[in-house]
Amino acid sequence: MTDPARHTLIEDAQGIAYGATMAAFGIVILTHLGLVTGQTAGLAILISYTTGWGFGPVFFAINLPFYVLGYLRMGWQFTLKTFVAVALLSALSLWLPGQISFATLNPWVGAVLFGFLSGSALLALFRHGASLGGIGILALMLQDRLGWRAGWVQLGFDAVLFAVAFAVIDTRLVIISASGALVVNLVIAINHRRDRYVAT
Amino acid sequence: MTDPNRHSPVEDAQGIAFGVTMAAFGMHILTHMGFVTGQTTGIAVLLAYVTGLPFPAVYFAVTLPFLGLAWRRLGARFALKTLVTTAALSLLVALLPAWVDLGRIEPAFAAILFGLLFGIAALAAIRHGGSFGGLSILWIELQDRTGFRAGSAQLLSDVAIFGLAAFIVPLDTLAYSFLGAAVFSLFLAINHRRDRYVAV
Repeated sequence: MTDPARHTLIEDAQGIAYGATMAAFGIVILTHLGLVTGQTAGLAILISYTTGWGFGPVFFAINLPFYVLGYLRMGWQFTLKTFVAVALLSALSLWLPGQISFATLNPWVGAVLFGFLSGSALLALFRHGASLGGIGILALMLQDRLGWRAGWVQLGFDAVLFAVAFAVIDTRLVIISASGALVVNLVIAINHRRDRYVAT
Repeated sequence: MTDPNRHSPVEDAQGIAFGVTMAAFGMHILTHMGFVTGQTTGIAVLLAYVTGLPFPAVYFAVTLPFLGLAWRRLGARFALKTLVTTAALSLLVALLPAWVDLGRIEPAFAAILFGLLFGIAALAAIRHGGSFGGLSILWIELQDRTGFRAGSAQLLSDVAIFGLAAFIVPLDTLAYSFLGAAVFSLFLAINHRRDRYVAV
């Protein structure tokens, strides 16, 4: 058995591979249904829907400026892992639609599956010292500099995204999207506990 | 925050609900592809293929005899929890095709996805004191009675199930099934660590 307190390189690699794969599969389900979500991925999806550009390249490009913040706030290991996770997710989101197709997919069930898949993906990435970049890091930075609570900044950002979404997709789809985003956040809120998963 | 060392009933319920949903999605992909696998699910899937009976019903029936064993060994509470879990899982596997109608999936991707879904489902269930029932309880009983290692019995039973499967499914399907089972086992072997996830 390896050291309980520290992940080895291979353990981190498999955790990040799991996170990027499940997050990408979640995005395939989300975009298949024409749904949206919050945070950086949500911004990339809205841009992708309005411009017609693919989610992968948009998500990859949006994240680029945030690596500087990530490096300053969280150090090079976190930044490198996050870059790998984002690059892998972007590449997989281009590749996966050719690998799996749905004849029919109930949007409510799809939203819950998306919530579970991306919730567990983010949990795995956090536990292995990575993230999916962007807004979360900016929120932490704003908390350090201006004293704004990171949780509220993220919530405010999501509120703006969902308000814009009403102009881009059907109202019914915005409501279904909100239930998917709720599942993601519940999975993280209940299960992201450093006092329970103690390895870093 | 709740006690770091003990899950509350709500925390266990969400963990097991997550596990059941991911396992059901994995089983849906497994049977859609005509793959086989090891353990209780493997026996049920082979029986379903040979008899033509619906997989969810066969799976539920196969887990029933082991409930008595679970009751004797691990108590009424554990047996009841297992019954509820396997019943919910069978029901969800029966319902999923109406909501999620899968189209074409590349077999290698399907195998990896099945392995990851089953892996995360088992991890969540184990960490939250749940069980999908069946064979493993028998092997623990065998170890107690005769001293024959449960891990070895589990491996031998999987060899037997895959051996039988060789007569029933085409060889390429068997190879993809093996890939899925390998991803599942590797995922659990690396990530099931009571010294890292410390809550029970």
